[in-house]
Amino acid sequence: MRQTGGGPRWVGTALVWLLLLIVLAFLYGPLIPPLLRSLEPAGPEGAGGLANYAALAGDERLLRALWTSLLSGVVVALVAPALALVAAQAVRIFRLPRLITGLVLLPLFVPGVAMGVASALGFRLLGVQPSLPTIVTVQVIWALPFAFLVIMTAMAGFDPVFLEAAHMSGAGPWRAFLEVELPMIRDGLQGAALFSLILSFNETIRTALVQGGRNTVATYIWSQYLQVGLSPALFALMSVLIAATLGLVAALAVVERRSVAG
Amino acid sequence: MARRTGPGQALVLGLPLVALTVLIVGPLLATVVVSFWEKQALGMRPGFTLKSYALFFEGVRLAVLLKTLWVAASATALMLPMAYAAAWAVAFRLPGRQARVVLFLFAVPFLVNYVVRTFAWSDILSRTGPVNRALQASGLAGGPADWLLYSDFAVYLGLITAYMPFMIFPIWLALAGIDRRYLEASWMLGEPPLATFRRVTLPLSIPGVVAAVIFGLVGCFGEVAVPLILGGTGYQLVGNAITSALDVLNFPLAAAMSSVAILVMLGLLVVWYCFFDLRLFLGKIMGRL
Repeated sequence: MRQTGGGPRWVGTALVWLLLLIVLAFLYGPLIPPLLRSLEPAGPEGAGGLANYAALAGDERLLRALWTSLLSGVVVALVAPALALVAAQAVRIFRLPRLITGLVLLPLFVPGVAMGVASALGFRLLGVQPSLPTIVTVQVIWALPFAFLVIMTAMAGFDPVFLEAAHMSGAGPWRAFLEVELPMIRDGLQGAALFSLILSFNETIRTALVQGGRNTVATYIWSQYLQVGLSPALFALMSVLIAATLGLVAALAVVERRSVAG
Repeated sequence: MARRTGPGQALVLGLPLVALTVLIVGPLLATVVVSFWEKQALGMRPGFTLKSYALFFEGVRLAVLLKTLWVAASATALMLPMAYAAAWAVAFRLPGRQARVVLFLFAVPFLVNYVVRTFAWSDILSRTGPVNRALQASGLAGGPADWLLYSDFAVYLGLITAYMPFMIFPIWLALAGIDRRYLEASWMLGEPPLATFRRVTLPLSIPGVVAAVIFGLVGCFGEVAVPLILGGTGYQLVGNAITSALDVLNFPLAAAMSSVAILVMLGLLVVWYCFFDLRLFLGKIMGRL
């Protein structure tokens, strides 16, 4: 694009960066306060600082929630990209791209509480008790559209002409996919898996409605707030959650970079 | 594609798709069905009654619905210019590498649990928080400013920071997909930059804008945490009304309110689908199809 108004070019560039920095400040500012609050003393005589973090390790309910989060996160990170890959392949092979894309992206367009209520009612009508599988199901549906978009982006960089070449060399559709396409979209699949893991770990409102007596780390924070309110230990937990998420995001960035370079 | 679909392939791809359809569409249909059922003391009974809808569309809950519509519409109206400006800057003013980095930075906070981010805002805006301290230290406010937290201001701030990044991406997708030759042609035909924007860029980005608007509305309509944490006692949006109905085990009422929320959004989505070609919008991604 060429220069719009008068004035030297750097004024325009500076304004653009100023705008972007303001937006980013509003988005990143809220990541700091939990860390500060987590270091405050827990009570009049309570020790502050790292004692709040140490207290987390002794919370049985939280440890169970952590276990649930890890289990569901791993399963979601495996299942959501697999289903998204199937859907993305189907978009290319079946001649109903709009229908399939619409179906997979649908969960993005359903308000969070409504999706939670719908899933809870669906399970109830089927007589499925709240359990790890219900949590995983709800989170897979939530992560699916994102995983799908990541994989579609990766597949857009893959020219199907390679598949034609594989066919002409005598490979069946399976072999062509496994040996030609899969290696080339592997980074996209890894990105989708990480994305799904992060979404699963942080999902709160939908999970809270189908979890029954269990908790994930995210819903544990939510229910602690509703039942006893905020505490330095809870802020410590939030800081851990933020740090874990940022760590996973860094891994995601590495995968992204590799796929750009590769 | 020239390839034919083999039966094995159709099965391997078709079965998961059928399962997905059941998992995604099934619960939504169940919700609509249950919304017509009768409430029992503990649970519900199949039947056909409009009682739950009558309960929803009267008195307090109707006021909550109208308030939610207003908050969702006005918050989205506030978010749209910000998201558009950010998306435009990224699409047209940043070189490819920087654009990727900035887009990634927009996505990161979204990945951090939004309930946690909302708690952080309640801390930032509290009577002893940094904003109030700064206001008092600078002499702009005599005492702690009460309008900061437990107010419409706080709720809007929470909603905007939660859902605005969501709106940047569809607009950016639409803007990035515009063929730059149109803009050059407009320039060569003598249009000033503003007219080019108004007559070329803006119309071509409308599919992204509408998708962004739907995202903004969906977010505000499904919101529970922001009104509860930042709005304070008594601040209710539809999301809170739905969870309160669940708390008293009134499933048909929760279903009726959810159905309305779902149908409003799906209605918007269908309109979008009918008016715009998905390929225009997801052009970059679906380009090779």
